[in-house]
Amino acid sequence: MILLKLDELIQGIINGDRRSVSRAISIVENEQVSINAKKIVKEIFANTGRAHIVGITGPPGIGKSTMIGNLSAMLSGTGRKVSVVAIDASSPFSGGSLLGNRIRMQDSLTRHGVFMRSLANRGLKGGLSRSIWDTVKILDASGSDIIIVETVGAGQADLDVVNLAETIVMVLGPGLGDEIQAIKAGIMEIGNLFVINKMDLPGAFIAQKDIEETLAMSPKGVWKPPVVGVNSLTREGYEDLIREIDRHGKFVKKSSDLAFRKFRAELEITIDEELRSRFYEEIRAFLSDNEKIRNLMEKKTDPYSAAENLINSLA
Amino acid sequence: METGKNQSLFNGRPIKILLAKPGIDGHDRGILVLAKAFRDAGMEVIYVGLLPTPEEVVDTAVNEDVDVIALSLLNGAHMTVFKKVADLMKARNINDIAVVGGGTIPEADKPKLEKMGISGNYGPGTPISKIVEHITERAAEMRKLKSMEE
Ligand code: B12
Ligand SMILES: Nc1nc2c(ncn2[C@@H]2O[C@H](COP(=O)(O)OP(=O)(O)OP(=O)(O)O)[C@@H](O)[C@H]2O)c(=O)[nH]1
Ligand SMILES: [Mg+2]
Repeated sequence: MILLKLDELIQGIINGDRRSVSRAISIVENEQVSINAKKIVKEIFANTGRAHIVGITGPPGIGKSTMIGNLSAMLSGTGRKVSVVAIDASSPFSGGSLLGNRIRMQDSLTRHGVFMRSLANRGLKGGLSRSIWDTVKILDASGSDIIIVETVGAGQADLDVVNLAETIVMVLGPGLGDEIQAIKAGIMEIGNLFVINKMDLPGAFIAQKDIEETLAMSPKGVWKPPVVGVNSLTREGYEDLIREIDRHGKFVKKSSDLAFRKFRAELEITIDEELRSRFYEEIRAFLSDNEKIRNLMEKKTDPYSAAENLINSLA
Repeated sequence: METGKNQSLFNGRPIKILLAKPGIDGHDRGILVLAKAFRDAGMEVIYVGLLPTPEEVVDTAVNEDVDVIALSLLNGAHMTVFKKVADLMKARNINDIAVVGGGTIPEADKPKLEKMGISGNYGPGTPISKIVEHITERAAEMRKLKSMEE
Protein backbone atom coordinates (compact mmCIF):
# COMPACT_ATOMS: atom_id res chain seq x y z
CA MET A 1 0.00 0.00 0.00
CA ILE A 2 1.21 3.48 -0.81
CA LEU A 3 1.01 5.56 2.30
CA LEU A 4 -0.08 8.93 1.06
CA LYS A 5 0.64 11.48 3.71
CA LEU A 6 -1.19 14.74 3.46
CA ASP A 7 1.96 16.72 2.73
CA GLU A 8 2.86 14.35 -0.07
CA LEU A 9 -0.66 14.62 -1.35
CA ILE A 10 -0.43 18.40 -1.45
CA GLN A 11 2.91 18.26 -3.23
CA GLY A 12 1.37 15.74 -5.63
CA ILE A 13 -1.42 18.16 -6.48
CA ILE A 14 1.05 20.92 -7.27
CA ASN A 15 3.04 18.50 -9.42
CA GLY A 16 -0.12 17.55 -11.30
CA ASP A 17 -0.08 13.92 -10.17
CA ARG A 18 -3.40 12.31 -11.10
CA ARG A 19 -3.81 10.09 -8.09
CA SER A 20 -3.05 12.89 -5.67
CA VAL A 21 -5.52 15.17 -7.42
CA SER A 22 -8.16 12.49 -7.44
CA ARG A 23 -7.74 11.51 -3.78
CA ALA A 24 -7.68 15.15 -2.71
CA ILE A 25 -11.00 15.71 -4.45
CA SER A 26 -12.45 12.80 -2.47
CA ILE A 27 -11.23 14.36 0.74
CA VAL A 28 -12.81 17.75 0.05
CA GLU A 29 -15.87 16.07 -1.38
CA ASN A 30 -16.54 13.77 1.48
CA GLU A 31 -15.31 15.60 4.50
CA GLN A 32 -15.96 19.18 3.67
CA VAL A 33 -15.31 20.53 7.10
CA SER A 34 -12.57 18.14 8.07
CA ILE A 35 -9.17 19.37 9.08
CA ASN A 36 -7.65 17.49 6.15
CA ALA A 37 -9.88 19.21 3.62
CA LYS A 38 -9.15 22.62 5.05
CA LYS A 39 -5.45 21.98 5.15
CA ILE A 40 -5.38 21.00 1.49
CA VAL A 41 -7.24 24.11 0.41
CA LYS A 42 -5.19 26.42 2.61
CA GLU A 43 -1.91 25.07 1.30
CA ILE A 44 -2.75 25.06 -2.38
CA PHE A 45 -4.57 28.37 -2.40
CA ALA A 46 -1.49 30.35 -3.43
CA ASN A 47 -1.25 28.17 -6.53
CA THR A 48 -4.79 28.88 -7.70
CA GLY A 49 -6.19 31.60 -9.94
CA ARG A 50 -4.40 30.71 -13.15
CA ALA A 51 -6.96 28.46 -14.86
CA HIS A 52 -9.87 29.73 -16.90
CA ILE A 53 -13.05 28.36 -15.28
CA VAL A 54 -15.82 27.74 -17.77
CA GLY A 55 -19.33 26.69 -16.71
CA ILE A 56 -21.53 24.83 -19.18
CA THR A 57 -25.19 25.09 -18.31
CA GLY A 58 -28.53 24.53 -20.01
CA PRO A 59 -31.60 22.29 -19.96
CA PRO A 60 -31.38 18.49 -19.61
CA GLY A 61 -30.41 16.58 -22.72
CA ILE A 62 -29.40 19.67 -24.71
CA GLY A 63 -25.91 18.28 -25.36
CA LYS A 64 -23.72 19.71 -22.61
CA SER A 65 -21.67 16.56 -22.03
CA THR A 66 -21.23 15.89 -25.73
CA MET A 67 -20.02 19.47 -26.13
CA ILE A 68 -17.52 19.11 -23.29
CA GLY A 69 -16.17 15.97 -24.96
CA ASN A 70 -15.59 17.94 -28.17
CA LEU A 71 -14.12 20.93 -26.37
CA SER A 72 -11.74 18.71 -24.35
CA ALA A 73 -10.51 17.03 -27.49
CA MET A 74 -10.02 20.22 -29.47
CA LEU A 75 -8.47 22.24 -26.63
CA SER A 76 -6.12 19.40 -25.67
CA GLY A 77 -5.21 19.19 -29.34
CA THR A 78 -3.78 22.72 -29.14
CA GLY A 79 -1.64 21.74 -26.16
CA ARG A 80 -3.76 23.07 -23.34
CA LYS A 81 -4.29 21.12 -20.13
CA VAL A 82 -8.01 20.60 -19.79
CA SER A 83 -9.84 19.32 -16.70
CA VAL A 84 -13.52 18.52 -16.47
CA VAL A 85 -15.99 18.25 -13.59
CA ALA A 86 -19.58 17.24 -14.24
CA ILE A 87 -22.36 17.25 -11.68
CA ASP A 88 -25.38 15.00 -11.56
CA ALA A 89 -28.35 15.08 -9.22
CA SER A 90 -28.52 12.69 -6.29
CA SER A 91 -31.73 10.76 -5.84
CA PRO A 92 -33.75 12.38 -3.07
CA PHE A 93 -35.02 8.93 -2.11
CA SER A 94 -31.90 6.82 -1.79
CA GLY A 95 -29.18 9.48 -1.80
CA GLY A 96 -27.57 7.49 -4.60
CA SER A 97 -26.87 8.78 -8.07
CA LEU A 98 -26.33 7.66 -11.63
CA LEU A 99 -23.40 9.74 -12.78
CA GLY A 100 -24.22 9.71 -16.48
CA ASN A 101 -22.26 12.60 -17.97
CA ARG A 102 -19.03 10.71 -18.45
CA ILE A 103 -20.44 8.28 -20.99
CA ARG A 104 -20.87 11.08 -23.56
CA MET A 105 -17.28 12.23 -23.33
CA GLN A 106 -15.38 9.05 -22.55
CA ASP A 107 -13.82 8.66 -26.01
CA SER A 108 -12.35 12.16 -26.04
CA LEU A 109 -11.17 11.88 -22.46
CA THR A 110 -9.34 8.65 -23.14
CA ARG A 111 -7.84 9.74 -26.41
CA HIS A 112 -6.45 12.95 -24.97
CA GLY A 113 -5.78 11.88 -21.41
CA VAL A 114 -8.12 14.49 -19.95
CA PHE A 115 -8.82 14.35 -16.21
CA MET A 116 -12.55 14.19 -15.57
CA ARG A 117 -14.43 13.83 -12.35
CA SER A 118 -18.14 13.11 -11.83
CA LEU A 119 -19.72 14.58 -8.71
CA ALA A 120 -23.17 14.07 -7.24
CA ASN A 121 -24.89 17.19 -5.96
CA ARG A 122 -25.83 15.43 -2.70
CA GLY A 123 -29.04 17.36 -2.50
CA LEU A 124 -27.59 20.85 -3.03
CA LYS A 125 -29.95 23.03 -5.06
CA GLY A 126 -28.67 25.43 -7.67
CA GLY A 127 -26.99 23.11 -10.13
CA LEU A 128 -23.71 22.54 -8.30
CA SER A 129 -22.36 20.42 -5.46
CA ARG A 130 -20.97 21.96 -2.30
CA SER A 131 -17.53 20.54 -2.94
CA ILE A 132 -17.21 22.03 -6.41
CA TRP A 133 -15.42 25.17 -5.23
CA ASP A 134 -12.67 23.19 -3.56
CA THR A 135 -12.57 20.67 -6.40
CA VAL A 136 -11.96 23.46 -8.90
CA LYS A 137 -9.18 24.87 -6.69
CA ILE A 138 -7.44 21.51 -6.65
CA LEU A 139 -7.65 21.24 -10.44
CA ASP A 140 -6.46 24.83 -10.78
CA ALA A 141 -3.47 24.27 -8.50
CA SER A 142 -2.60 21.09 -10.40
CA GLY A 143 -1.77 23.17 -13.47
CA SER A 144 -4.95 23.13 -15.53
CA ASP A 145 -5.21 25.78 -18.21
CA ILE A 146 -8.95 25.44 -18.48
CA ILE A 147 -11.48 23.81 -16.15
CA ILE A 148 -14.86 22.97 -17.62
CA VAL A 149 -17.77 22.47 -15.23
CA GLU A 150 -21.07 20.91 -16.30
CA THR A 151 -24.00 21.86 -14.08
CA VAL A 152 -26.82 19.51 -13.20
CA GLY A 153 -29.01 20.62 -16.06
CA ALA A 154 -32.08 21.54 -14.12
CA GLY A 155 -32.39 24.52 -16.42
CA GLN A 156 -33.92 27.38 -14.55
CA ALA A 157 -32.46 26.61 -11.15
CA ASP A 158 -28.82 26.37 -12.22
CA LEU A 159 -27.92 29.82 -11.05
CA ASP A 160 -25.13 29.08 -8.60
CA VAL A 161 -22.68 28.67 -11.44
CA VAL A 162 -22.33 32.48 -11.59
CA ASN A 163 -20.49 32.28 -8.29
CA LEU A 164 -18.09 29.66 -9.57
CA ALA A 165 -17.33 30.11 -13.25
CA GLU A 166 -15.66 33.02 -15.01
CA THR A 167 -17.28 32.27 -18.33
CA ILE A 168 -20.80 30.87 -18.48
CA VAL A 169 -21.82 29.10 -21.64
CA MET A 170 -25.58 28.70 -21.86
CA VAL A 171 -26.44 25.85 -24.19
CA LEU A 172 -29.82 25.93 -25.91
CA GLY A 173 -31.28 24.24 -28.94
CA PRO A 174 -34.30 23.51 -31.06
CA GLY A 175 -37.41 21.90 -29.65
CA LEU A 176 -37.24 23.34 -26.16
CA GLY A 177 -40.84 24.50 -26.29
CA ASP A 178 -42.00 26.31 -23.18
CA GLU A 179 -38.69 25.82 -21.51
CA ILE A 180 -37.08 28.41 -23.75
CA GLN A 181 -39.73 30.95 -22.76
CA ALA A 182 -38.92 30.33 -19.10
CA ILE A 183 -35.22 30.68 -19.77
CA LYS A 184 -35.76 33.87 -21.70
CA ALA A 185 -37.84 35.27 -18.87
CA GLY A 186 -35.45 34.26 -16.16
CA ILE A 187 -31.86 33.34 -16.64
CA MET A 188 -30.73 34.89 -19.91
CA GLU A 189 -28.60 37.39 -18.02
CA ILE A 190 -26.29 34.76 -16.56
CA GLY A 191 -24.99 33.63 -19.98
CA ASN A 192 -21.79 35.22 -21.28
CA LEU A 193 -22.06 33.11 -24.40
CA PHE A 194 -25.05 31.43 -25.98
CA VAL A 195 -24.69 28.25 -27.94
CA ILE A 196 -27.42 26.84 -30.11
CA ASN A 197 -26.57 23.16 -30.24
CA LYS A 198 -28.05 20.56 -32.62
CA MET A 199 -27.92 22.88 -35.61
CA ASP A 200 -28.47 19.74 -37.71
CA LEU A 201 -32.05 19.51 -36.46
CA PRO A 202 -35.07 21.42 -37.77
CA GLY A 203 -35.96 24.48 -35.74
CA ALA A 204 -32.37 25.28 -34.79
CA PHE A 205 -32.19 28.42 -36.93
CA ILE A 206 -35.45 29.66 -35.49
CA ALA A 207 -34.10 29.06 -31.98
CA GLN A 208 -30.95 30.99 -32.87
CA LYS A 209 -32.93 33.95 -34.25
CA ASP A 210 -35.15 33.88 -31.19
CA ILE A 211 -32.19 34.11 -28.81
CA GLU A 212 -30.47 36.79 -30.89
CA GLU A 213 -33.62 38.89 -30.80
CA THR A 214 -34.07 38.43 -27.07
CA LEU A 215 -30.47 39.48 -26.51
CA ALA A 216 -30.89 42.50 -28.74
CA MET A 217 -33.70 43.68 -26.49
CA SER A 218 -31.81 43.07 -23.26
CA PRO A 219 -29.95 45.81 -21.42
CA LYS A 220 -26.40 46.02 -22.72
CA GLY A 221 -23.25 45.88 -20.69
CA VAL A 222 -19.63 46.14 -21.78
CA TRP A 223 -19.66 42.50 -22.88
CA LYS A 224 -22.15 41.64 -25.60
CA PRO A 225 -22.95 37.93 -25.36
CA PRO A 226 -22.38 36.30 -28.75
CA VAL A 227 -24.61 33.54 -30.12
CA VAL A 228 -22.87 30.59 -31.75
CA GLY A 229 -24.58 27.75 -33.59
CA VAL A 230 -22.91 24.33 -33.46
CA ASN A 231 -23.47 20.75 -34.46
CA SER A 232 -21.88 18.59 -31.80
CA LEU A 233 -22.05 15.45 -33.89
CA THR A 234 -19.77 16.93 -36.59
CA ARG A 235 -18.03 19.68 -34.55
CA GLU A 236 -19.26 22.26 -37.01
CA GLY A 237 -19.07 25.74 -35.44
CA TYR A 238 -16.59 24.71 -32.74
CA GLU A 239 -13.78 26.97 -33.98
CA ASP A 240 -16.10 29.92 -33.42
CA LEU A 241 -17.17 28.59 -30.04
CA ILE A 242 -13.60 28.19 -28.82
CA ARG A 243 -12.64 31.61 -30.13
CA GLU A 244 -15.51 33.20 -28.19
CA ILE A 245 -14.71 31.27 -25.00
CA ASP A 246 -11.11 32.46 -25.19
CA ARG A 247 -12.17 36.01 -25.98
CA HIS A 248 -14.41 36.09 -22.92
CA GLY A 249 -11.67 34.49 -20.83
CA LYS A 250 -9.33 37.35 -21.70
CA PHE A 251 -12.06 39.90 -21.04
CA VAL A 252 -12.95 38.47 -17.67
CA LYS A 253 -9.43 38.06 -16.33
CA LYS A 254 -9.18 41.84 -16.54
CA SER A 255 -12.37 42.35 -14.53
CA SER A 256 -11.74 42.57 -10.81
CA ASP A 257 -15.49 42.95 -10.24
CA LEU A 258 -16.17 39.34 -11.06
CA ALA A 259 -13.29 38.06 -8.97
CA PHE A 260 -14.56 40.14 -6.08
CA ARG A 261 -18.12 38.89 -6.40
CA LYS A 262 -17.01 35.28 -6.58
CA PHE A 263 -14.72 35.68 -3.61
CA ARG A 264 -17.47 37.20 -1.51
CA ALA A 265 -20.01 34.52 -2.49
CA GLU A 266 -17.65 31.77 -1.53
CA LEU A 267 -16.77 33.48 1.71
CA GLU A 268 -20.45 33.64 2.58
CA ILE A 269 -20.94 29.92 2.04
CA THR A 270 -17.81 29.10 3.98
CA ILE A 271 -18.67 31.25 6.97
CA ASP A 272 -22.09 29.64 7.09
CA GLU A 273 -20.52 26.24 7.09
CA GLU A 274 -17.83 27.12 9.58
CA LEU A 275 -20.49 28.36 11.98
CA ARG A 276 -22.51 25.20 11.68
CA SER A 277 -19.56 22.92 12.08
CA ARG A 278 -18.09 24.94 14.96
CA PHE A 279 -21.09 24.14 17.15
CA TYR A 280 -21.94 20.85 15.55
CA GLU A 281 -20.91 18.58 18.39
CA GLU A 282 -22.48 20.73 21.08
CA ILE A 283 -25.75 20.83 19.16
CA ARG A 284 -25.67 17.05 18.65
CA ALA A 285 -24.96 16.51 22.32
CA PHE A 286 -27.76 18.84 23.29
CA LEU A 287 -30.24 17.12 20.99
CA SER A 288 -29.35 13.68 22.29
CA ASP A 289 -29.80 14.65 25.93
CA ASN A 290 -33.28 13.17 26.29
CA GLU A 291 -33.78 14.34 29.83
CA LYS A 292 -32.98 17.94 29.03
CA ILE A 293 -35.23 17.95 25.98
CA ARG A 294 -38.08 16.35 27.88
CA ASN A 295 -37.67 18.92 30.59
CA LEU A 296 -37.94 21.76 28.09
CA MET A 297 -41.03 20.16 26.62
CA GLU A 298 -42.70 19.66 29.95
CA LYS A 299 -41.97 23.21 30.98
CA LYS A 300 -43.57 24.26 27.68
CA THR A 301 -40.50 26.16 26.56
CA ASP A 302 -41.03 27.50 23.05
CA PRO A 303 -38.46 26.37 20.45
CA TYR A 304 -37.15 29.90 19.76
CA SER A 305 -36.28 30.50 23.37
CA ALA A 306 -34.73 27.05 23.72
CA ALA A 307 -32.59 27.57 20.63
CA GLU A 308 -31.57 31.08 21.69
CA ASN A 309 -30.56 29.85 25.13
CA LEU A 310 -28.49 27.07 23.66
CA ILE A 311 -26.66 29.30 21.19
CA ASN A 312 -26.08 32.00 23.82
CA SER A 313 -24.55 29.42 26.11
CA LEU A 314 -22.16 28.30 23.34
CA ALA A 315 -21.08 31.58 21.79
CA MET B 1 -5.29 12.75 11.34
CA GLU B 2 -8.82 13.27 12.49
CA THR B 3 -10.50 11.50 9.68
CA GLY B 4 -14.18 11.00 9.96
CA LYS B 5 -14.68 13.99 12.19
CA ASN B 6 -17.98 15.71 11.54
CA GLN B 7 -18.69 13.30 8.76
CA SER B 8 -22.33 12.92 9.66
CA LEU B 9 -22.77 16.60 8.91
CA PHE B 10 -22.79 15.43 5.31
CA ASN B 11 -24.61 12.19 5.92
CA GLY B 12 -21.55 10.04 5.43
CA ARG B 13 -19.95 9.24 2.13
CA PRO B 14 -21.91 7.21 -0.38
CA ILE B 15 -20.11 4.24 -1.89
CA LYS B 16 -18.77 5.16 -5.31
CA ILE B 17 -18.71 2.39 -7.91
CA LEU B 18 -17.61 2.06 -11.53
CA LEU B 19 -19.53 -0.44 -13.65
CA ALA B 20 -17.63 -1.62 -16.69
CA LYS B 21 -17.90 -4.10 -19.51
CA PRO B 22 -14.30 -4.43 -20.54
CA GLY B 23 -14.72 -6.04 -23.91
CA ILE B 24 -16.89 -6.52 -26.94
CA ASP B 25 -20.00 -7.78 -25.24
CA GLY B 26 -23.42 -6.44 -26.11
CA HIS B 27 -25.16 -8.04 -23.12
CA ASP B 28 -25.84 -4.91 -21.18
CA ARG B 29 -29.17 -5.72 -19.58
CA GLY B 30 -27.62 -7.14 -16.43
CA ILE B 31 -25.25 -4.24 -15.88
CA LEU B 32 -28.03 -1.71 -16.41
CA VAL B 33 -30.20 -3.53 -13.88
CA LEU B 34 -27.30 -3.42 -11.44
CA ALA B 35 -26.63 0.29 -12.06
CA LYS B 36 -30.17 1.19 -11.03
CA ALA B 37 -30.13 -1.23 -8.10
CA PHE B 38 -26.88 0.28 -6.80
CA ARG B 39 -28.23 3.79 -7.09
CA ASP B 40 -31.36 2.74 -5.22
CA ALA B 41 -29.12 1.27 -2.54
CA GLY B 42 -27.64 4.76 -2.10
CA MET B 43 -24.46 4.39 -4.15
CA GLU B 44 -22.94 6.85 -6.61
CA VAL B 45 -22.74 4.88 -9.82
CA ILE B 46 -20.72 5.46 -12.97
CA TYR B 47 -21.50 3.42 -16.04
CA VAL B 48 -19.65 4.32 -19.21
CA GLY B 49 -20.76 1.61 -21.59
CA LEU B 50 -18.05 -0.47 -23.13
CA LEU B 51 -14.59 0.29 -21.84
CA PRO B 52 -12.49 -1.64 -24.30
CA THR B 53 -9.13 -1.64 -22.59
CA PRO B 54 -8.13 -2.51 -19.04
CA GLU B 55 -6.12 0.75 -19.02
CA GLU B 56 -9.30 2.68 -19.61
CA VAL B 57 -11.05 0.88 -16.78
CA VAL B 58 -8.24 1.52 -14.33
CA ASP B 59 -7.66 5.14 -15.41
CA THR B 60 -11.33 5.90 -15.02
CA ALA B 61 -11.46 4.23 -11.61
CA VAL B 62 -8.47 6.29 -10.44
CA ASN B 63 -9.74 9.62 -11.77
CA GLU B 64 -13.14 9.05 -10.23
CA ASP B 65 -11.58 7.61 -7.06
CA VAL B 66 -14.19 4.86 -6.79
CA ASP B 67 -14.30 2.29 -4.01
CA VAL B 68 -15.25 -0.61 -6.25
CA ILE B 69 -14.86 -1.61 -9.90
CA ALA B 70 -17.65 -3.98 -10.96
CA LEU B 71 -16.76 -5.95 -14.08
CA SER B 72 -19.47 -7.70 -16.05
CA LEU B 73 -18.97 -10.09 -18.95
CA LEU B 74 -21.36 -12.58 -20.48
CA ASN B 75 -19.19 -13.38 -23.48
CA GLY B 76 -16.88 -15.91 -21.85
CA ALA B 77 -13.77 -13.72 -22.00
CA HIS B 78 -13.60 -13.06 -18.25
CA MET B 79 -10.54 -15.22 -17.56
CA THR B 80 -8.34 -13.12 -19.84
CA VAL B 81 -9.97 -9.71 -19.47
CA PHE B 82 -10.66 -9.65 -15.72
CA LYS B 83 -7.11 -10.85 -15.19
CA LYS B 84 -5.72 -7.97 -17.23
CA VAL B 85 -7.54 -5.48 -15.03
CA ALA B 86 -6.27 -7.20 -11.88
CA ASP B 87 -2.70 -7.29 -13.23
CA LEU B 88 -2.77 -3.63 -14.12
CA MET B 89 -4.03 -2.69 -10.67
CA LYS B 90 -1.17 -4.62 -9.17
CA ALA B 91 1.38 -3.06 -11.53
CA ARG B 92 0.18 0.40 -10.54
CA ASN B 93 0.21 -0.43 -6.87
CA ILE B 94 -3.49 0.27 -6.41
CA ASN B 95 -4.91 -1.74 -3.57
CA ASP B 96 -7.61 0.51 -2.20
CA ILE B 97 -10.05 -0.10 -5.03
CA ALA B 98 -11.85 -3.45 -4.92
CA VAL B 99 -12.54 -5.46 -8.07
CA VAL B 100 -15.78 -7.44 -8.15
CA GLY B 101 -16.85 -9.62 -11.07
CA GLY B 102 -20.01 -11.12 -12.48
CA GLY B 103 -21.79 -12.47 -15.55
CA THR B 104 -21.68 -15.95 -17.04
CA ILE B 105 -18.81 -17.34 -15.03
CA PRO B 106 -18.50 -21.13 -14.69
CA GLU B 107 -18.05 -22.50 -11.16
CA ALA B 108 -14.60 -23.80 -12.04
CA ASP B 109 -13.33 -20.29 -12.80
CA LYS B 110 -14.46 -18.71 -9.56
CA PRO B 111 -11.59 -19.84 -7.30
CA LYS B 112 -9.10 -18.71 -9.93
CA LEU B 113 -10.67 -15.28 -10.08
CA GLU B 114 -10.76 -15.08 -6.30
CA LYS B 115 -7.05 -15.76 -6.28
CA MET B 116 -6.51 -12.76 -8.53
CA GLY B 117 -8.39 -10.69 -5.97
CA ILE B 118 -11.61 -10.55 -7.95
CA SER B 119 -14.48 -11.42 -5.65
CA GLY B 120 -18.20 -12.01 -6.09
CA ASN B 121 -18.34 -13.52 -9.58
CA TYR B 122 -22.08 -13.87 -9.40
CA GLY B 123 -24.04 -15.27 -12.32
CA PRO B 124 -27.57 -15.26 -13.68
CA GLY B 125 -30.30 -15.46 -11.08
CA THR B 126 -28.30 -14.05 -8.19
CA PRO B 127 -30.59 -11.97 -5.98
CA ILE B 128 -29.71 -8.28 -6.20
CA SER B 129 -29.71 -7.99 -2.42
CA LYS B 130 -26.87 -10.49 -2.19
CA ILE B 131 -24.83 -8.51 -4.73
CA VAL B 132 -25.47 -5.19 -2.96
CA GLU B 133 -24.43 -6.77 0.33
CA HIS B 134 -21.18 -8.04 -1.15
CA ILE B 135 -20.34 -4.68 -2.76
CA THR B 136 -21.06 -2.89 0.51
CA GLU B 137 -18.69 -5.19 2.38
CA ARG B 138 -15.88 -4.75 -0.12
CA ALA B 139 -16.36 -0.98 -0.17
CA ALA B 140 -16.13 -0.87 3.61
CA GLU B 141 -12.79 -2.71 3.47
CA MET B 142 -11.50 -0.17 0.95
CA ARG B 143 -12.66 2.76 3.04
CA LYS B 144 -10.67 1.42 5.93
CA LEU B 145 -7.53 1.33 3.80
CA LYS B 146 -8.18 4.81 2.46
CA SER B 147 -8.63 6.41 5.85
CA MET B 148 -5.36 4.84 6.98
CA GLU B 149 -3.63 6.61 4.13
CA GLU B 150 -4.78 10.04 5.07
C1 B12 C 1 -30.75 -11.69 -23.43
C2 B12 C 1 -29.56 -12.39 -24.07
C3 B12 C 1 -29.03 -11.85 -25.23
C4 B12 C 1 -29.55 -10.54 -25.80
C5 B12 C 1 -28.85 -9.38 -25.05
C6 B12 C 1 -29.70 -8.12 -24.91
C7 B12 C 1 -29.01 -7.09 -24.06
N1 B12 C 1 -29.02 -5.87 -24.51
O1 B12 C 1 -28.49 -7.37 -23.00
C8 B12 C 1 -29.09 -10.70 -27.29
C9 B12 C 1 -30.22 -11.36 -28.05
C10 B12 C 1 -28.69 -9.39 -27.98
C11 B12 C 1 -27.94 -11.67 -27.15
C12 B12 C 1 -26.97 -11.84 -28.09
C13 B12 C 1 -25.95 -12.77 -28.03
N2 B12 C 1 -25.81 -13.73 -27.09
CO1 B12 C 1 -26.87 -13.82 -25.48
N3 B12 C 1 -27.94 -14.16 -24.00
C14 B12 C 1 -28.99 -13.55 -23.48
C15 B12 C 1 -29.50 -14.36 -22.27
C16 B12 C 1 -30.66 -15.19 -22.73
C17 B12 C 1 -29.94 -13.56 -21.05
C18 B12 C 1 -28.98 -12.46 -20.58
C19 B12 C 1 -29.71 -11.42 -19.75
O2 B12 C 1 -29.99 -10.33 -20.19
N4 B12 C 1 -30.06 -11.78 -18.51
C20 B12 C 1 -30.79 -10.92 -17.60
C21 B12 C 1 -29.78 -10.10 -16.76
C22 B12 C 1 -30.53 -9.22 -15.75
O3 B12 C 1 -28.97 -11.00 -16.06
P1 B12 C 1 -27.40 -11.11 -16.22
O4 B12 C 1 -26.91 -10.31 -17.36
O5 B12 C 1 -26.99 -12.51 -16.12
O6 B12 C 1 -26.90 -10.34 -14.91
C23 B12 C 1 -27.14 -10.87 -13.64
C24 B12 C 1 -26.02 -11.74 -13.10
O7 B12 C 1 -25.29 -12.38 -14.10
C25 B12 C 1 -25.19 -10.82 -12.29
N5 B12 C 1 -24.12 -10.05 -12.90
C26 B12 C 1 -23.91 -9.71 -14.17
N6 B12 C 1 -22.84 -8.91 -14.28
C27 B12 C 1 -22.35 -8.73 -13.05
C28 B12 C 1 -21.27 -8.00 -12.59
C29 B12 C 1 -20.97 -7.99 -11.23
C30 B12 C 1 -19.82 -7.21 -10.75
C31 B12 C 1 -21.77 -8.73 -10.34
C32 B12 C 1 -21.45 -8.72 -8.91
C33 B12 C 1 -22.87 -9.45 -10.81
C34 B12 C 1 -23.15 -9.45 -12.15
O8 B12 C 1 -26.13 -9.91 -11.79
C35 B12 C 1 -27.20 -9.70 -12.70
C36 B12 C 1 -28.46 -9.60 -11.92
O9 B12 C 1 -28.71 -10.78 -11.22
C37 B12 C 1 -28.24 -15.22 -21.93
C38 B12 C 1 -28.51 -16.57 -21.29
C39 B12 C 1 -28.66 -16.43 -19.81
N7 B12 C 1 -29.70 -17.01 -19.30
O10 B12 C 1 -27.84 -15.80 -19.13
C40 B12 C 1 -27.58 -15.38 -23.30
C41 B12 C 1 -26.10 -15.60 -23.42
C42 B12 C 1 -25.38 -14.68 -22.43
N8 B12 C 1 -25.80 -15.17 -24.79
C43 B12 C 1 -24.88 -15.92 -25.36
C44 B12 C 1 -24.41 -15.71 -26.69
C45 B12 C 1 -23.43 -16.74 -27.19
C46 B12 C 1 -24.85 -14.64 -27.47
C47 B12 C 1 -24.38 -14.29 -28.88
C48 B12 C 1 -22.87 -14.39 -29.08
C49 B12 C 1 -25.03 -15.07 -29.97
C50 B12 C 1 -26.12 -15.93 -29.51
N9 B12 C 1 -25.84 -17.19 -29.48
O11 B12 C 1 -27.21 -15.44 -29.29
C51 B12 C 1 -24.88 -12.84 -29.07
C52 B12 C 1 -23.74 -11.87 -28.80
C53 B12 C 1 -24.22 -10.43 -28.60
C54 B12 C 1 -23.09 -9.45 -28.42
N10 B12 C 1 -22.96 -8.46 -29.30
O12 B12 C 1 -22.30 -9.55 -27.52
C55 B12 C 1 -24.38 -17.01 -24.44
C56 B12 C 1 -22.99 -16.72 -23.90
C57 B12 C 1 -22.14 -17.96 -23.84
C58 B12 C 1 -20.82 -17.78 -23.15
N11 B12 C 1 -20.67 -16.99 -22.14
O13 B12 C 1 -19.91 -18.46 -23.54
C59 B12 C 1 -25.54 -17.08 -23.38
C60 B12 C 1 -25.04 -17.51 -21.96
C61 B12 C 1 -26.59 -18.05 -23.89
C62 B12 C 1 -26.05 -19.47 -23.97
N12 B12 C 1 -26.32 -20.29 -22.98
O14 B12 C 1 -25.43 -19.81 -24.94
N13 B12 C 1 -28.03 -12.38 -26.00
N1 LIG D 1 -28.69 15.67 -33.46
C1 LIG D 1 -27.85 16.08 -32.51
N2 LIG D 1 -27.82 15.42 -31.34
C2 LIG D 1 -26.96 15.84 -30.39
C3 LIG D 1 -26.09 16.93 -30.59
N3 LIG D 1 -25.36 17.10 -29.47
C4 LIG D 1 -25.76 16.15 -28.60
N4 LIG D 1 -26.72 15.38 -29.15
C5 LIG D 1 -27.42 14.24 -28.52
O1 LIG D 1 -28.23 14.71 -27.47
C6 LIG D 1 -28.33 13.72 -26.43
C7 LIG D 1 -28.01 14.30 -25.08
O2 LIG D 1 -26.67 14.71 -25.06
P1 LIG D 1 -25.86 14.98 -23.72
O3 LIG D 1 -24.53 15.47 -24.11
O4 LIG D 1 -25.95 13.83 -22.81
O5 LIG D 1 -26.74 16.16 -23.11
P2 LIG D 1 -26.61 16.85 -21.67
O6 LIG D 1 -27.07 18.24 -21.83
O7 LIG D 1 -25.25 16.65 -21.13
O8 LIG D 1 -27.67 16.00 -20.84
P3 LIG D 1 -27.85 15.95 -19.24
O9 LIG D 1 -26.50 15.93 -18.61
O10 LIG D 1 -28.62 14.71 -19.03
O11 LIG D 1 -28.63 17.17 -18.87
C8 LIG D 1 -27.38 12.60 -26.84
O12 LIG D 1 -28.13 11.59 -27.43
C9 LIG D 1 -26.47 13.25 -27.86
O13 LIG D 1 -25.94 12.35 -28.79
C10 LIG D 1 -26.15 17.62 -31.86
O14 LIG D 1 -25.44 18.59 -32.12
N5 LIG D 1 -27.04 17.14 -32.77
MG1 LIG E 1 -24.68 15.79 -19.33
